[in-house]
Amino acid sequence: MRQWELLVGEVLAPARGYVELRLEATQALEAEPGQFFMLRAGNLPDTYLPRAFSWYRQDAPRRLSFLFRVEGPGTRELARLRTGDLLQAMGPLGRGFPLPQQPIRAAILGGGVGVPPLWGLAKALLQGGSDVLALIGARAKAHIVGAKEIAALGARVLVATDDGSEGYRGPLTDLLPEEGIDAIYACGPEGMLRRVQQISLADGPPAYLALEAPMACGYGVCMGCVVERAEPPSDQGEYGRWARVCREGPVFAAQEVRL
Amino acid sequence: MTGQAVSFAGLSLKNPVLTASGTFGYGREAAELYDLGLLGGVMVKGVSREPWPGNAPLRVARAPGGMLNAIGLQNPGLEHFLSTDLPFLRRYDTAVVVNVVGHDLQGFVDVVRGVTGQAGVGAVELNISCPNVADGLLFSQDPASARKLVAAARQATDLPLVVKMSPNVTDPVALGLACKEGGADALSAINTLLGMAIDLRRRAPVLGNRTGGLSGPAVKPVGLRIVFDLAAQVGLPVIGMGGIETGSDALEYIMAGASAVAVGTAVFRDPLAPPRIVRELVDELEQHGFESAAQAWAAANPAAKEAAS
Repeated sequence: MRQWELLVGEVLAPARGYVELRLEATQALEAEPGQFFMLRAGNLPDTYLPRAFSWYRQDAPRRLSFLFRVEGPGTRELARLRTGDLLQAMGPLGRGFPLPQQPIRAAILGGGVGVPPLWGLAKALLQGGSDVLALIGARAKAHIVGAKEIAALGARVLVATDDGSEGYRGPLTDLLPEEGIDAIYACGPEGMLRRVQQISLADGPPAYLALEAPMACGYGVCMGCVVERAEPPSDQGEYGRWARVCREGPVFAAQEVRL
Repeated sequence: MTGQAVSFAGLSLKNPVLTASGTFGYGREAAELYDLGLLGGVMVKGVSREPWPGNAPLRVARAPGGMLNAIGLQNPGLEHFLSTDLPFLRRYDTAVVVNVVGHDLQGFVDVVRGVTGQAGVGAVELNISCPNVADGLLFSQDPASARKLVAAARQATDLPLVVKMSPNVTDPVALGLACKEGGADALSAINTLLGMAIDLRRRAPVLGNRTGGLSGPAVKPVGLRIVFDLAAQVGLPVIGMGGIETGSDALEYIMAGASAVAVGTAVFRDPLAPPRIVRELVDELEQHGFESAAQAWAAANPAAKEAAS
Protein backbone atom coordinates (compact mmCIF):
# COMPACT_ATOMS: atom_id res chain seq x y z
CA MET A 1 0.00 0.00 0.00
CA ARG A 2 1.21 3.50 -0.75
CA GLN A 3 -0.06 6.96 -1.61
CA TRP A 4 -0.42 7.97 -5.22
CA GLU A 5 -1.07 11.17 -7.08
CA LEU A 6 -2.97 10.13 -10.18
CA LEU A 7 -3.57 12.13 -13.31
CA VAL A 8 -7.04 12.02 -14.77
CA GLY A 9 -6.94 10.81 -18.36
CA GLU A 10 -10.25 10.08 -20.01
CA VAL A 11 -13.54 10.59 -18.18
CA LEU A 12 -16.20 8.27 -19.59
CA ALA A 13 -19.94 7.98 -18.97
CA PRO A 14 -20.60 4.32 -19.77
CA ALA A 15 -24.19 4.16 -18.47
CA ARG A 16 -26.87 6.36 -16.94
CA GLY A 17 -25.56 7.76 -13.65
CA TYR A 18 -22.13 6.13 -13.97
CA VAL A 19 -18.69 7.64 -14.50
CA GLU A 20 -15.47 5.85 -15.34
CA LEU A 21 -12.29 7.72 -14.46
CA ARG A 22 -9.24 6.51 -16.34
CA LEU A 23 -6.20 7.46 -14.29
CA GLU A 24 -2.48 7.50 -14.90
CA ALA A 25 0.31 7.01 -12.36
CA THR A 26 4.00 7.76 -12.69
CA GLN A 27 4.83 4.17 -11.79
CA ALA A 28 3.28 0.76 -12.34
CA LEU A 29 0.24 0.06 -10.18
CA GLU A 30 -0.19 -3.51 -9.11
CA ALA A 31 -3.44 -4.52 -7.49
CA GLU A 32 -5.26 -7.83 -7.07
CA PRO A 33 -8.82 -8.26 -8.27
CA GLY A 34 -11.15 -7.20 -5.45
CA GLN A 35 -8.64 -4.91 -3.74
CA PHE A 36 -9.58 -1.27 -3.36
CA PHE A 37 -8.16 2.25 -3.16
CA MET A 38 -9.17 5.23 -1.05
CA LEU A 39 -9.75 8.16 -3.39
CA ARG A 40 -10.15 11.84 -2.71
CA ALA A 41 -10.38 14.66 -5.16
CA GLY A 42 -10.25 17.88 -3.26
CA ASN A 43 -10.99 19.73 -0.11
CA LEU A 44 -14.72 20.35 -0.17
CA PRO A 45 -16.05 20.29 3.39
CA ASP A 46 -18.52 17.46 2.83
CA THR A 47 -15.88 15.17 1.45
CA TYR A 48 -13.30 15.30 4.19
CA LEU A 49 -12.91 11.54 4.28
CA PRO A 50 -11.61 9.67 1.27
CA ARG A 51 -13.94 7.12 -0.37
CA ALA A 52 -13.22 3.45 -0.99
CA PHE A 53 -13.49 2.09 -4.54
CA SER A 54 -12.49 -1.24 -6.04
CA TRP A 55 -10.41 -0.74 -9.14
CA TYR A 56 -12.13 -1.52 -12.42
CA ARG A 57 -9.93 -1.81 -15.53
CA GLN A 58 -6.23 -1.80 -16.27
CA ASP A 59 -4.95 -1.70 -19.84
CA ALA A 60 -1.35 -0.70 -19.05
CA PRO A 61 0.78 -1.04 -15.88
CA ARG A 62 0.62 2.66 -15.12
CA ARG A 63 -3.08 3.03 -15.90
CA LEU A 64 -6.03 2.11 -13.74
CA SER A 65 -9.67 3.02 -13.99
CA PHE A 66 -12.45 3.38 -11.46
CA LEU A 67 -16.15 3.05 -12.22
CA PHE A 68 -18.78 4.43 -9.87
CA ARG A 69 -22.37 5.60 -9.68
CA VAL A 70 -22.80 9.29 -8.91
CA GLU A 71 -25.00 9.41 -5.83
CA GLY A 72 -23.59 11.55 -3.02
CA PRO A 73 -21.25 14.49 -2.36
CA GLY A 74 -18.12 12.34 -2.63
CA THR A 75 -18.99 10.74 -5.96
CA ARG A 76 -20.35 14.05 -7.31
CA GLU A 77 -17.00 15.64 -6.58
CA LEU A 78 -15.13 12.80 -8.30
CA ALA A 79 -17.49 13.07 -11.26
CA ARG A 80 -16.54 16.72 -11.72
CA LEU A 81 -12.91 15.81 -12.45
CA ARG A 82 -11.68 16.53 -15.95
CA THR A 83 -8.75 15.35 -18.04
CA GLY A 84 -5.54 16.75 -16.56
CA ASP A 85 -6.85 17.04 -12.99
CA LEU A 86 -5.08 15.30 -10.11
CA LEU A 87 -6.53 12.82 -7.68
CA GLN A 88 -5.13 11.49 -4.38
CA ALA A 89 -5.25 7.74 -3.97
CA MET A 90 -4.09 5.27 -1.35
CA GLY A 91 -3.80 1.58 -2.02
CA PRO A 92 -4.08 -1.14 -3.02
CA LEU A 93 -5.88 -2.11 0.18
CA GLY A 94 -7.56 -5.18 1.61
CA ARG A 95 -7.76 -8.83 0.68
CA GLY A 96 -8.91 -9.51 -2.87
CA PHE A 97 -10.63 -12.51 -4.46
CA PRO A 98 -8.76 -15.79 -3.89
CA LEU A 99 -7.83 -17.25 -7.27
CA PRO A 100 -7.95 -20.99 -7.94
CA GLN A 101 -4.73 -22.99 -8.32
CA GLN A 102 -6.24 -24.99 -11.17
CA PRO A 103 -8.61 -23.96 -13.99
CA ILE A 104 -12.20 -24.06 -12.75
CA ARG A 105 -15.70 -23.26 -13.95
CA ALA A 106 -16.41 -19.93 -12.24
CA ALA A 107 -19.59 -17.89 -11.99
CA ILE A 108 -18.99 -14.22 -11.25
CA LEU A 109 -21.94 -12.03 -10.24
CA GLY A 110 -22.04 -8.27 -10.18
CA GLY A 111 -25.02 -6.06 -9.45
CA GLY A 112 -24.95 -2.32 -10.17
CA VAL A 113 -22.07 -0.65 -8.33
CA GLY A 114 -20.76 -4.14 -7.58
CA VAL A 115 -19.68 -4.77 -11.16
CA PRO A 116 -16.25 -3.01 -11.20
CA PRO A 117 -14.10 -5.61 -9.38
CA LEU A 118 -15.38 -8.32 -11.76
CA TRP A 119 -13.38 -7.04 -14.73
CA GLY A 120 -10.02 -7.75 -13.10
CA LEU A 121 -11.38 -10.98 -11.64
CA ALA A 122 -12.63 -12.22 -15.03
CA LYS A 123 -9.29 -11.35 -16.59
CA ALA A 124 -7.29 -13.21 -13.91
CA LEU A 125 -9.57 -16.26 -14.03
CA LEU A 126 -9.44 -16.43 -17.81
CA GLN A 127 -5.67 -16.05 -17.80
CA GLY A 128 -5.50 -19.00 -15.41
CA GLY A 129 -7.44 -21.10 -17.88
CA SER A 130 -10.78 -21.01 -16.05
CA ASP A 131 -14.15 -20.91 -17.74
CA VAL A 132 -15.97 -17.72 -16.70
CA LEU A 133 -19.70 -17.13 -16.68
CA ALA A 134 -20.36 -13.46 -15.81
CA LEU A 135 -23.82 -12.50 -14.58
CA ILE A 136 -24.37 -8.76 -14.70
CA GLY A 137 -27.34 -7.11 -13.02
CA ALA A 138 -28.78 -3.62 -13.30
CA ARG A 139 -31.97 -1.72 -12.57
CA ALA A 140 -32.67 -1.28 -16.27
CA LYS A 141 -30.98 -1.42 -19.66
CA ALA A 142 -29.67 2.15 -19.44
CA HIS A 143 -27.82 1.35 -16.19
CA ILE A 144 -25.89 -1.72 -17.33
CA VAL A 145 -22.13 -1.40 -16.84
CA GLY A 146 -19.26 -3.76 -17.56
CA ALA A 147 -21.15 -6.36 -19.62
CA LYS A 148 -19.51 -5.51 -22.95
CA GLU A 149 -16.09 -4.98 -21.38
CA ILE A 150 -16.15 -8.31 -19.52
CA ALA A 151 -17.45 -10.12 -22.62
CA ALA A 152 -14.54 -8.62 -24.57
CA LEU A 153 -12.14 -10.43 -22.24
CA GLY A 154 -13.63 -13.75 -23.33
CA ALA A 155 -16.17 -14.43 -20.58
CA ARG A 156 -19.69 -15.65 -21.29
CA VAL A 157 -22.00 -12.85 -20.13
CA LEU A 158 -25.67 -12.96 -19.15
CA VAL A 159 -27.61 -9.90 -18.09
CA ALA A 160 -30.55 -9.46 -15.74
CA THR A 161 -32.51 -6.27 -15.12
CA ASP A 162 -35.11 -5.44 -12.48
CA ASP A 163 -37.58 -4.26 -15.13
CA GLY A 164 -36.75 -6.72 -17.90
CA SER A 165 -35.65 -3.99 -20.31
CA GLU A 166 -32.61 -6.12 -21.11
CA GLY A 167 -31.96 -9.82 -20.60
CA TYR A 168 -33.63 -11.75 -17.81
CA ARG A 169 -36.19 -10.01 -15.63
CA GLY A 170 -35.55 -10.82 -11.99
CA PRO A 171 -32.81 -11.58 -9.50
CA LEU A 172 -29.37 -12.26 -10.92
CA THR A 173 -29.04 -15.43 -8.87
CA ASP A 174 -31.86 -17.01 -10.94
CA LEU A 175 -29.32 -17.20 -13.78
CA LEU A 176 -26.87 -19.35 -11.80
CA PRO A 177 -26.70 -22.82 -13.34
CA GLU A 178 -27.70 -25.55 -10.88
CA GLU A 179 -24.72 -27.64 -11.86
CA GLY A 180 -21.32 -27.28 -13.41
CA ILE A 181 -20.05 -24.36 -11.31
CA ASP A 182 -16.97 -24.87 -9.10
CA ALA A 183 -16.92 -21.45 -7.39
CA ILE A 184 -19.04 -18.31 -7.20
CA TYR A 185 -17.64 -14.79 -6.82
CA ALA A 186 -20.06 -11.95 -6.11
CA CYS A 187 -20.17 -8.22 -5.50
CA GLY A 188 -23.27 -6.08 -5.27
CA PRO A 189 -26.36 -5.31 -3.20
CA GLU A 190 -26.71 -7.04 0.15
CA GLY A 191 -29.83 -8.94 -0.96
CA MET A 192 -27.93 -10.52 -3.82
CA LEU A 193 -24.96 -11.37 -1.61
CA ARG A 194 -27.30 -13.03 0.90
CA ARG A 195 -28.85 -15.20 -1.81
CA VAL A 196 -25.41 -16.23 -3.08
CA GLN A 197 -24.40 -17.02 0.49
CA GLN A 198 -27.55 -19.16 1.00
CA ILE A 199 -26.91 -21.06 -2.23
CA SER A 200 -23.30 -21.71 -1.28
CA LEU A 201 -24.02 -22.77 2.29
CA ALA A 202 -26.86 -25.08 1.16
CA ASP A 203 -24.41 -27.54 -0.38
CA GLY A 204 -23.62 -25.23 -3.28
CA PRO A 205 -20.16 -24.38 -4.58
CA PRO A 206 -17.83 -22.26 -2.42
CA ALA A 207 -18.59 -18.57 -2.74
CA TYR A 208 -16.55 -15.42 -2.19
CA LEU A 209 -18.36 -12.19 -1.42
CA ALA A 210 -16.88 -8.71 -1.89
CA LEU A 211 -18.49 -6.48 0.75
CA GLU A 212 -18.94 -2.75 0.94
CA ALA A 213 -19.17 -0.70 4.15
CA PRO A 214 -18.83 2.95 5.08
CA MET A 215 -15.25 3.38 6.22
CA ALA A 216 -13.14 6.26 7.44
CA CYS A 217 -9.55 5.07 6.99
CA GLY A 218 -9.43 2.01 4.71
CA TYR A 219 -6.33 0.56 6.39
CA GLY A 220 -7.59 -0.89 9.64
CA VAL A 221 -7.28 1.76 12.32
CA CYS A 222 -10.73 3.33 12.63
CA MET A 223 -12.73 0.12 13.23
CA GLY A 224 -15.62 1.75 11.39
CA CYS A 225 -16.31 -0.78 8.63
CA VAL A 226 -16.94 -3.93 10.61
CA VAL A 227 -19.06 -6.93 9.61
CA GLU A 228 -20.20 -9.71 11.94
CA ARG A 229 -18.14 -12.89 11.83
CA ALA A 230 -20.08 -16.15 11.52
CA GLU A 231 -17.71 -17.90 13.92
CA PRO A 232 -15.78 -15.52 16.18
CA PRO A 233 -12.36 -16.83 17.19
CA SER A 234 -12.60 -18.49 20.60
CA ASP A 235 -9.66 -16.61 22.10
CA GLN A 236 -10.81 -13.03 21.56
CA GLY A 237 -13.98 -12.86 23.62
CA GLU A 238 -16.52 -10.22 22.68
CA TYR A 239 -13.88 -8.34 20.72
CA GLY A 240 -13.76 -11.06 18.09
CA ARG A 241 -17.38 -10.60 17.03
CA TRP A 242 -16.38 -8.31 14.18
CA ALA A 243 -14.08 -8.38 11.19
CA ARG A 244 -12.91 -5.24 9.40
CA VAL A 245 -14.12 -5.06 5.81
CA CYS A 246 -11.04 -3.01 4.91
CA ARG A 247 -8.47 -5.37 6.35
CA GLU A 248 -9.87 -8.89 6.77
CA GLY A 249 -11.99 -8.20 3.66
CA PRO A 250 -13.36 -6.75 1.50
CA VAL A 251 -13.64 -10.29 0.09
CA PHE A 252 -14.90 -12.91 2.53
CA ALA A 253 -15.71 -16.59 2.01
CA ALA A 254 -19.47 -17.11 2.31
CA GLN A 255 -19.13 -19.08 5.55
CA GLU A 256 -17.02 -16.38 7.25
CA VAL A 257 -19.61 -13.63 7.71
CA ARG A 258 -23.15 -13.03 8.91
CA LEU A 259 -24.92 -10.71 6.48
CA MET B 1 16.71 18.00 17.05
CA THR B 2 17.11 18.46 20.79
CA GLY B 3 14.87 21.49 20.56
CA GLN B 4 11.92 19.24 19.85
CA ALA B 5 11.90 17.39 23.15
CA VAL B 6 9.26 18.30 25.70
CA SER B 7 8.89 17.24 29.29
CA PHE B 8 5.88 17.73 31.55
CA ALA B 9 3.89 15.88 34.19
CA GLY B 10 6.58 13.22 34.49
CA LEU B 11 6.36 12.43 30.79
CA SER B 12 9.34 12.96 28.50
CA LEU B 13 8.64 13.08 24.78
CA LYS B 14 11.21 13.31 22.00
CA ASN B 15 8.87 15.70 20.22
CA PRO B 16 5.47 17.18 21.11
CA VAL B 17 3.40 15.20 18.56
CA LEU B 18 1.47 12.11 19.66
CA THR B 19 -1.29 10.13 17.99
CA ALA B 20 -4.72 10.41 19.58
CA SER B 21 -6.46 7.46 21.17
CA GLY B 22 -8.99 5.60 19.05
CA THR B 23 -7.59 6.65 15.70
CA PHE B 24 -4.44 4.59 15.67
CA GLY B 25 -5.30 1.18 17.08
CA TYR B 26 -2.18 -0.10 18.85
CA GLY B 27 0.20 1.14 16.18
CA ARG B 28 0.42 -2.01 14.09
CA GLU B 29 -1.11 -0.61 10.89
CA ALA B 30 0.86 2.65 10.93
CA ALA B 31 4.07 0.74 11.67
CA GLU B 32 3.71 -0.84 8.23
CA LEU B 33 4.05 2.68 6.80
CA TYR B 34 6.69 4.42 8.92
CA ASP B 35 8.88 4.08 11.99
CA LEU B 36 6.76 4.82 15.06
CA GLY B 37 9.98 6.13 16.61
CA LEU B 38 9.38 9.32 14.62
CA LEU B 39 6.51 10.13 16.97
CA GLY B 40 6.61 11.82 20.33
CA GLY B 41 4.20 9.21 21.57
CA VAL B 42 1.29 6.90 20.87
CA MET B 43 -1.92 7.22 22.84
CA VAL B 44 -3.35 3.76 22.28
CA LYS B 45 -6.96 2.83 21.65
CA GLY B 46 -8.98 2.54 24.86
CA VAL B 47 -8.21 -0.57 26.90
CA SER B 48 -10.88 -2.13 29.12
CA ARG B 49 -10.54 -4.88 31.71
CA GLU B 50 -12.40 -7.41 29.55
CA PRO B 51 -12.65 -7.38 25.73
CA TRP B 52 -15.41 -5.05 24.49
CA PRO B 53 -17.28 -5.68 21.23
CA GLY B 54 -18.11 -2.07 20.40
CA ASN B 55 -21.32 -0.89 18.76
CA ALA B 56 -23.35 -2.41 15.95
CA PRO B 57 -22.75 -0.91 12.49
CA LEU B 58 -23.04 1.62 10.96
CA ARG B 59 -20.17 3.12 12.90
CA VAL B 60 -18.96 6.05 10.79
CA ALA B 61 -20.70 8.85 8.92
CA ARG B 62 -19.76 11.83 6.85
CA ALA B 63 -19.88 15.31 8.36
CA PRO B 64 -18.86 18.70 7.01
CA GLY B 65 -15.20 19.27 7.81
CA GLY B 66 -14.80 15.94 9.50
CA MET B 67 -16.74 12.84 10.44
CA LEU B 68 -18.92 11.16 13.03
CA ASN B 69 -17.95 7.91 14.68
CA ALA B 70 -19.72 5.56 17.03
CA ILE B 71 -17.23 2.72 17.31
CA GLY B 72 -18.05 2.16 20.97
CA LEU B 73 -14.54 1.39 22.27
CA GLN B 74 -14.20 -2.02 20.65
CA ASN B 75 -10.98 -3.38 22.11
CA PRO B 76 -9.37 -6.73 22.90
CA GLY B 77 -9.04 -6.07 26.64
CA LEU B 78 -6.23 -5.70 29.16
CA GLU B 79 -4.81 -9.21 28.93
CA HIS B 80 -4.42 -9.00 25.14
CA PHE B 81 -2.97 -5.52 25.42
CA LEU B 82 -0.31 -6.68 27.87
CA SER B 83 0.54 -9.92 26.08
CA THR B 84 0.49 -8.69 22.48
CA ASP B 85 0.03 -4.96 21.87
CA LEU B 86 2.37 -3.49 24.48
CA PRO B 87 5.29 -5.81 23.53
CA PHE B 88 4.78 -4.72 19.92
CA LEU B 89 4.90 -1.03 20.85
CA ARG B 90 7.94 -1.56 23.08
CA ARG B 91 9.94 -2.25 19.92
CA TYR B 92 9.72 1.43 19.02
CA ASP B 93 11.43 4.37 20.63
CA THR B 94 8.28 6.32 21.41
CA ALA B 95 6.26 7.03 24.54
CA VAL B 96 3.19 4.85 25.09
CA VAL B 97 0.20 6.43 26.78
CA VAL B 98 -2.42 3.84 27.71
CA ASN B 99 -5.97 5.09 27.29
CA VAL B 100 -8.10 3.39 29.94
CA VAL B 101 -11.86 2.80 29.80
CA GLY B 102 -14.29 1.14 32.17
CA HIS B 103 -17.97 0.70 32.87
CA ASP B 104 -17.46 1.68 36.49
CA LEU B 105 -14.81 2.93 38.89
CA GLN B 106 -13.46 -0.54 39.60
CA GLY B 107 -13.20 -1.26 35.87
CA PHE B 108 -10.97 1.79 35.41
CA VAL B 109 -8.88 1.06 38.49
CA ASP B 110 -8.24 -2.56 37.51
CA VAL B 111 -6.81 -1.53 34.15
CA VAL B 112 -4.74 1.29 35.67
CA ARG B 113 -3.30 -1.17 38.18
CA GLY B 114 -2.80 -3.75 35.42
CA VAL B 115 -0.60 -1.50 33.28
CA THR B 116 1.34 -0.05 36.20
CA GLY B 117 4.82 -1.47 36.49
CA GLN B 118 4.75 -2.80 32.93
CA ALA B 119 7.84 -1.87 30.96
CA GLY B 120 7.18 0.60 28.18
CA VAL B 121 4.14 2.36 29.63
CA GLY B 122 4.85 6.08 29.81
CA ALA B 123 1.54 7.31 31.19
CA VAL B 124 -2.10 6.48 31.71
CA GLU B 125 -4.92 8.47 30.12
CA LEU B 126 -8.29 8.06 31.83
CA ASN B 127 -10.98 8.21 29.16
CA ILE B 128 -13.92 9.71 31.01
CA SER B 129 -15.26 11.37 27.89
CA CYS B 130 -16.29 8.79 25.28
CA PRO B 131 -19.74 9.78 24.02
CA ASN B 132 -20.35 6.45 22.28
CA VAL B 133 -20.94 4.04 25.14
CA ALA B 134 -23.85 4.19 27.56
CA ASP B 135 -21.73 5.02 30.60
CA GLY B 136 -18.95 6.79 28.70
CA LEU B 137 -19.69 10.21 30.10
CA LEU B 138 -20.65 8.95 33.56
CA PHE B 139 -17.56 10.44 35.18
CA SER B 140 -17.75 13.69 33.22
CA GLN B 141 -21.27 14.51 34.32
CA ASP B 142 -20.31 16.02 37.60
CA PRO B 143 -16.93 17.10 38.95
CA ALA B 144 -17.38 15.16 42.19
CA SER B 145 -17.53 11.77 40.48
CA ALA B 146 -14.59 12.71 38.26
CA ARG B 147 -12.56 13.61 41.32
CA LYS B 148 -13.46 10.32 42.99
CA LEU B 149 -12.41 8.29 39.94
CA VAL B 150 -9.14 10.16 39.49
CA ALA B 151 -8.34 9.78 43.18
CA ALA B 152 -8.95 6.03 42.97
CA ALA B 153 -6.72 5.77 39.89
CA ARG B 154 -4.10 7.89 41.66
CA GLN B 155 -4.05 5.34 44.50
CA ALA B 156 -3.52 2.56 41.96
CA THR B 157 -0.54 3.96 40.07
CA ASP B 158 2.61 6.01 40.21
CA LEU B 159 2.53 6.54 36.43
CA PRO B 160 1.81 10.03 35.10
CA LEU B 161 -1.97 10.31 35.16
CA VAL B 162 -3.68 12.15 32.31
CA VAL B 163 -7.46 12.68 32.17
CA LYS B 164 -9.20 13.12 28.82
CA MET B 165 -11.70 15.94 28.92
CA SER B 166 -15.10 16.05 27.30
CA PRO B 167 -16.29 19.05 25.31
CA ASN B 168 -19.85 17.88 26.04
CA VAL B 169 -20.02 19.59 29.41
CA THR B 170 -21.09 23.04 30.54
CA ASP B 171 -17.88 23.86 32.38
CA PRO B 172 -14.70 22.04 31.31
CA VAL B 173 -12.64 24.10 33.76
CA ALA B 174 -14.68 22.91 36.75
CA LEU B 175 -14.17 19.34 35.56
CA GLY B 176 -10.45 19.95 35.05
CA LEU B 177 -10.09 21.43 38.55
CA ALA B 178 -11.85 18.39 40.01
CA CYS B 179 -9.41 16.10 38.19
CA LYS B 180 -6.52 18.13 39.55
CA GLU B 181 -7.89 17.78 43.07
CA GLY B 182 -8.17 14.04 42.49
CA GLY B 183 -4.47 13.89 41.69
CA ALA B 184 -4.24 14.16 37.90
CA ASP B 185 -0.84 15.17 36.51
CA ALA B 186 -2.13 16.44 33.17
CA LEU B 187 -5.27 16.84 31.09
CA SER B 188 -5.92 15.96 27.47
CA ALA B 189 -8.55 17.78 25.43
CA ILE B 190 -10.72 17.37 23.57
CA ASN B 191 -12.63 14.15 23.02
CA THR B 192 -15.28 14.21 20.27
CA LEU B 193 -18.41 16.37 20.27
CA LEU B 194 -21.70 14.54 20.49
CA GLY B 195 -23.53 14.72 17.17
CA MET B 196 -25.88 13.01 14.75
CA ALA B 197 -26.51 12.46 11.02
CA ILE B 198 -29.86 11.50 9.47
CA ASP B 199 -30.39 9.12 6.56
CA LEU B 200 -33.20 10.68 4.50
CA ARG B 201 -34.12 7.42 2.76
CA ARG B 202 -34.38 5.42 5.97
CA ARG B 203 -35.81 8.42 7.85
CA ALA B 204 -33.56 7.52 10.75
CA PRO B 205 -30.14 8.29 12.21
CA VAL B 206 -27.30 7.02 10.03
CA LEU B 207 -25.29 5.56 12.90
CA GLY B 208 -26.22 2.27 14.55
CA ASN B 209 -25.74 3.96 17.92
CA ARG B 210 -27.93 6.91 16.72
CA THR B 211 -25.46 9.50 18.04
CA GLY B 212 -21.74 9.69 17.42
CA GLY B 213 -18.68 11.78 18.11
CA LEU B 214 -17.80 14.62 15.75
CA SER B 215 -14.11 15.05 14.96
CA GLY B 216 -11.88 16.55 12.31
CA PRO B 217 -11.03 20.13 11.32
CA ALA B 218 -14.58 21.25 12.17
CA VAL B 219 -13.91 20.87 15.89
CA LYS B 220 -10.56 22.69 16.03
CA PRO B 221 -11.99 26.00 17.28
CA VAL B 222 -13.79 24.18 20.10
CA GLY B 223 -10.60 22.31 21.03
CA LEU B 224 -8.53 25.48 21.06
CA ARG B 225 -11.02 27.28 23.27
CA ILE B 226 -11.15 24.45 25.81
CA VAL B 227 -7.37 23.92 25.82
CA PHE B 228 -6.88 27.67 26.33
CA ASP B 229 -9.29 27.74 29.29
CA LEU B 230 -7.88 24.57 30.88
CA ALA B 231 -4.27 25.70 30.52
CA ALA B 232 -5.00 29.14 31.92
CA GLN B 233 -7.37 28.22 34.72
CA VAL B 234 -6.57 24.70 35.93
CA GLY B 235 -2.82 24.87 36.20
CA LEU B 236 -2.05 21.41 34.80
CA PRO B 237 -0.19 20.65 31.58
CA VAL B 238 -2.55 19.95 28.68
CA ILE B 239 -2.18 17.65 25.68
CA GLY B 240 -4.17 19.43 22.97
CA MET B 241 -6.11 17.71 20.22
CA GLY B 242 -9.07 18.25 17.93
CA GLY B 243 -8.78 18.84 14.19
CA ILE B 244 -4.99 19.01 13.93
CA GLU B 245 -4.05 18.53 10.27
CA THR B 246 -0.83 20.53 9.91
CA GLY B 247 2.17 21.84 11.82
CA SER B 248 0.45 25.20 11.89
CA ASP B 249 -2.58 23.68 13.64
CA ALA B 250 -0.22 22.06 16.15
CA LEU B 251 1.44 25.39 16.87
CA GLU B 252 -1.96 27.00 17.37
CA TYR B 253 -2.66 24.45 20.09
CA ILE B 254 0.73 25.05 21.67
CA MET B 255 0.07 28.78 21.69
CA ALA B 256 -3.34 28.09 23.22
CA GLY B 257 -1.48 26.45 26.08
CA ALA B 258 -0.90 22.84 25.07
CA SER B 259 2.37 21.27 26.21
CA ALA B 260 2.02 18.62 23.50
CA VAL B 261 -0.50 17.78 20.81
CA ALA B 262 -2.16 14.67 19.43
CA VAL B 263 -3.18 13.92 15.85
CA GLY B 264 -6.42 11.99 15.49
CA THR B 265 -8.90 11.96 12.64
CA ALA B 266 -6.29 13.36 10.21
CA VAL B 267 -4.73 9.88 10.02
CA PHE B 268 -7.87 8.52 8.35
CA ARG B 269 -7.44 10.95 5.48
CA ASP B 270 -3.66 10.82 5.46
CA PRO B 271 -1.99 7.89 7.25
CA LEU B 272 1.34 9.72 7.12
CA ALA B 273 -0.05 12.84 8.85
CA PRO B 274 1.68 12.32 12.25
CA PRO B 275 5.31 12.22 11.03
CA ARG B 276 4.47 14.97 8.52
CA ILE B 277 3.14 17.17 11.34
CA VAL B 278 6.31 16.46 13.38
CA ARG B 279 8.35 17.89 10.47
CA GLU B 280 5.96 20.74 9.75
CA LEU B 281 5.95 21.83 13.39
CA VAL B 282 9.75 22.20 13.33
CA ASP B 283 9.47 24.48 10.29
CA GLU B 284 6.53 26.36 11.75
CA LEU B 285 8.36 27.06 15.02
CA GLU B 286 11.38 28.28 13.12
CA GLN B 287 9.29 30.57 10.95
CA HIS B 288 7.83 32.16 14.04
CA GLY B 289 11.21 32.63 15.62
CA PHE B 290 11.12 29.87 18.22
CA GLU B 291 13.87 27.39 18.95
CA SER B 292 11.57 24.89 20.58
CA ALA B 293 7.95 24.05 21.24
CA ALA B 294 8.57 24.76 24.92
CA GLN B 295 9.69 28.28 24.03
CA ALA B 296 6.57 28.91 21.93
CA TRP B 297 4.45 27.58 24.77
CA ALA B 298 6.14 29.86 27.28
CA ALA B 299 5.83 32.88 25.00
CA ALA B 300 2.12 32.51 24.41
CA ASN B 301 0.64 30.56 27.26
CA PRO B 302 -1.32 32.74 29.67
CA ALA B 303 -0.56 30.43 32.60
CA ALA B 304 3.17 30.62 31.92
CA LYS B 305 3.00 34.38 31.59
CA GLU B 306 1.15 34.64 34.86
CA ALA B 307 3.67 32.43 36.62
CA ALA B 308 6.51 34.56 35.27
CA SER B 309 5.02 37.88 36.38
